[in-house]
Amino acid sequence: MKTIYILAASIVFTLHTSEAQLIKVDQAVFGMDCAPCAYGLERGLKKMEGLGNITVSLNDGKAYLSLISGNTLTLKGIQEVVKKNGFSARTAEILAIGELNKSGDEWTLKVNNETFSVAAVTDEEIIRNLAGGRVKLKGEVMDEDDKHLSDKWTIRIMEILPL
Amino acid sequence: MYRMKGILLIALVAALAIVKTNAQGHGPLYGLQTPTLAKGGFDFNAAVMSLATEDDQSLMLRYIWSYGITEDLQLNITTPTVINRLSEAPRTRGNSSMPANGDIEASLWYRFFSNAFGVGKRFESTAVLSVSTPTEDKRGQINVGNSVHGAISTGYASRTWYTWVGGGYQYYLQKSGQQLGDLPYASVVIGYRPNIFMGDYPKPDWRMFLESLAEFPGQSKIEGQVTPTIGQGEKVMIGPSFLGLYGAWGVSFGALFPAYQNENQNIPKEKYRLSFNLSYWL
Repeated sequence: MKTIYILAASIVFTLHTSEAQLIKVDQAVFGMDCAPCAYGLERGLKKMEGLGNITVSLNDGKAYLSLISGNTLTLKGIQEVVKKNGFSARTAEILAIGELNKSGDEWTLKVNNETFSVAAVTDEEIIRNLAGGRVKLKGEVMDEDDKHLSDKWTIRIMEILPL
Repeated sequence: MYRMKGILLIALVAALAIVKTNAQGHGPLYGLQTPTLAKGGFDFNAAVMSLATEDDQSLMLRYIWSYGITEDLQLNITTPTVINRLSEAPRTRGNSSMPANGDIEASLWYRFFSNAFGVGKRFESTAVLSVSTPTEDKRGQINVGNSVHGAISTGYASRTWYTWVGGGYQYYLQKSGQQLGDLPYASVVIGYRPNIFMGDYPKPDWRMFLESLAEFPGQSKIEGQVTPTIGQGEKVMIGPSFLGLYGAWGVSFGALFPAYQNENQNIPKEKYRLSFNLSYWL
């Protein structure tokens, strides 16, 4: 009986963690020069539901975010918090699970209602080996104008990881 | 008398620290600056300010409450507790966001330009518009009325170097036939954070500034007639200030000394200004 529970729990956990979601975000933040800046950003991010560990580095100019399993956070939401704190959100390195689709020659990744178009600068071998469906990957999301944030992004895939 | 003032000052500052009520922004102490609060951000500052002349020394506590309406628009309200008022008070703005005299002031800061172009680096410009009402009837020998103040500043901030340049103008309305002269002024600030204080957040963060303030008080009027012997005279002040930040807390202190002053003979010469400021970001 105990074994069945463990198996069931493992299946539920596996299904849950393979849902399309952001897992980690290393968000570059420009213009942040002092401790209260970092404190304000950290506090703003902590108000978001779905964030686990948050580390803000002034010297790196980055917010390192670990997201909890099953979160529905979006990159747009994270960058809006950066903007509200008076800074500029730039490129972000993400670890995510999403649905990869091909339309014509263009690959797109869907994560939590956001669309990431795969950038042409992605390594050719990675593009060649892409296959549609559920995928876990690491990538660099290109900078978008903070004043016109939308749910559409461009991503340079850095690595495809096992689900 | 001065010993009592000192004890009172220390007690008040300690009390303020205990109840976690703290002071001003993360820029310079005296000069105009540019940073504004985050959208929805709130902070509280408490400052102790003193201005010494040849004859006397003022002592004032001042509080400022600030709220970020947006990330570029900030509302401030500042109120004083005057402990010792100078009978011949020089006309000056005092701290960067606070009047040096007994005015109650409400101000809006609008950061109309901001370009964050690198890690920790940004250029920005901010405009200030404020209205003040005095808590005394006369300043010097002149009836003091409400006033309007406008200023503009622009600056560069990085993890190592800072600089701000700004200028402002305070215009006093007439009261019972008398009008205090205007106060045009300008400020220049250079800041530096040594490598030793470059530890990453949440470690404490210190920086130092060299601040300069130039003031050009205009002529006051009585019944429309200029009174050239009351309260006019240019002045350039210069001095160091230090700012320490830790999490939501900030402490800054500094002094200004006259590098040049051209006061009238009947106005006591200024010797120095001191300021101590505590900040808490809520």
